[in-house]
Amino acid sequence: MYGGGNLFETPKLDELRNEDPIKLKEFEDRIERGEKIEPNDWMPALYRKQLIRMIEQHAHSEIIGALPEGTWITRAPGFKRKMSLMAKVQDEVGHAQLLYSAAETLGKSREQMIDDLISGKSKYSNIFNYPTFTWADCCFISWLVDAGAIVNQTANARGSYGPYCRALDRICAEESFHLKYGHHCVIHLATGTPKQRKMMQEAIDRWWEPLMHFFGPPDKLSVHTETLVKWKVKMATNDENRQQFLDMYVPKIWELGLTIPDPNLKKNAETGLWEYTEPDWAEFKRVINGDGPCNKERLAVRRVAEERGEWVRQAMLAPQSKYVVPLA
Amino acid sequence: MESLDPRIARLEISDDAILQPKEALDQLVTYEVFVQKKDKAAFEHVGIVHASDVEMAFIFAKETFSRRFTCFGMCVVETGKIRITGYTDNDNNIYDQVAKVEHGDGPEEIYEIFHLKKRGKQHVHIGSVEAESYDNALYKAKVLYDDEKPKFNVWVIKNSDILFSDEDDKAIWDTLSDKKYRDATAYRAMDKIKKFKEEQLNQ
Repeated sequence: MYGGGNLFETPKLDELRNEDPIKLKEFEDRIERGEKIEPNDWMPALYRKQLIRMIEQHAHSEIIGALPEGTWITRAPGFKRKMSLMAKVQDEVGHAQLLYSAAETLGKSREQMIDDLISGKSKYSNIFNYPTFTWADCCFISWLVDAGAIVNQTANARGSYGPYCRALDRICAEESFHLKYGHHCVIHLATGTPKQRKMMQEAIDRWWEPLMHFFGPPDKLSVHTETLVKWKVKMATNDENRQQFLDMYVPKIWELGLTIPDPNLKKNAETGLWEYTEPDWAEFKRVINGDGPCNKERLAVRRVAEERGEWVRQAMLAPQSKYVVPLA
Repeated sequence: MESLDPRIARLEISDDAILQPKEALDQLVTYEVFVQKKDKAAFEHVGIVHASDVEMAFIFAKETFSRRFTCFGMCVVETGKIRITGYTDNDNNIYDQVAKVEHGDGPEEIYEIFHLKKRGKQHVHIGSVEAESYDNALYKAKVLYDDEKPKFNVWVIKNSDILFSDEDDKAIWDTLSDKKYRDATAYRAMDKIKKFKEEQLNQ
């Protein structure tokens, strides 16, 4: 579970002006009633476009997100941790498959999505452009990045598009052990030797800012998302998700005697909201546009996997059958 | 920065190679997957896989959809071989739009019928009919399986197009008991936190 902080394009008003007003009303009424939209239903072009973009970004995040953790499988401390981490990484890659399938029902082929990932046209969660220097970095991802993704995705599972909701339900159920595993790893380090504690603390210091970025730009900087909220594409704002995460996990970090590298972080007793230093959004922009420490190598690993698998796909091609869009 | 990823180091991957545009789409065929969640339960749609042929599709489907949930049987069918009706909503029954087709132009064979009984949920196998064409099968399904509740969509599939798991091979669905690390209960750690907090207080 690695999806978070989706970036939406600014919807253009004329895109909606071209839609059939009667069909648009039926579509919006259906969502209003709480009914799901299915692939064969009429939908506005903007809805289709934004959903493809969102589900595709989520799928890419699962695949790329498996890389920084995957690098630690061979070096995980002990057989038990190796087994757990291997199972987790395998799950995440499987979840990418489920998500690609859901996006495909909207009419974009899987191959096109993979091509767009490799060429850098499509985005994925920015946080995976940072390196995992130590085992503690890997533990941080398993616990806290997963936790952040769960906050985002449980919100999305209440959305309006049937195939995406079904995929998310399945993913959430399959993942029940991931978060517990991550927490277990962090507890082990935090309650361990001074050296282990130091390693865990350093990981938190490194990853806190990317994790704050993970939920996406603050609402006051985000593009106009009213339509996306009405259509139940976006179920909670970036700030809402960030607040919920802080509320659930800051106490859990503090109880382990670990500190968070933000002197302004505190819960305002009156508003019930967390106050924090805004992370550096210029850095976020710079990294998401390709200039992060690991952007190039993440895509390089995918590109090589694609290239080296080509002969297998070619060998498997059955020319008597043609690709069609899945039904549901 | 030197890479920390063993793949980069070992495979001598360069991260600044120029991307060669691919020539043609090599997308494989789409198959729809159905599982039985309980013994003798109806098959339910769970998702899709891409594969070169139906047997490979079955193997991929087993990997993707039977790993974590209970599974007692599975079947796969090429997406293009499924005949689908239109979708309805509210209380409109799709069977109300099905015309009377008493015969078809093919030999009589078995067709499997799947219903969508709630929008947002999965298609579920409802039964089979012997018919001479898809339209004939759909009409026979209307006669046999249309009760008072609305059906929002119907899938009609020739039985001969579906690859079913073998009843005698049920053991392939068993989960090995030594995979406890895949359960959340294997990661209890409250004792450790409690002990840690007590130690902090005593210092």
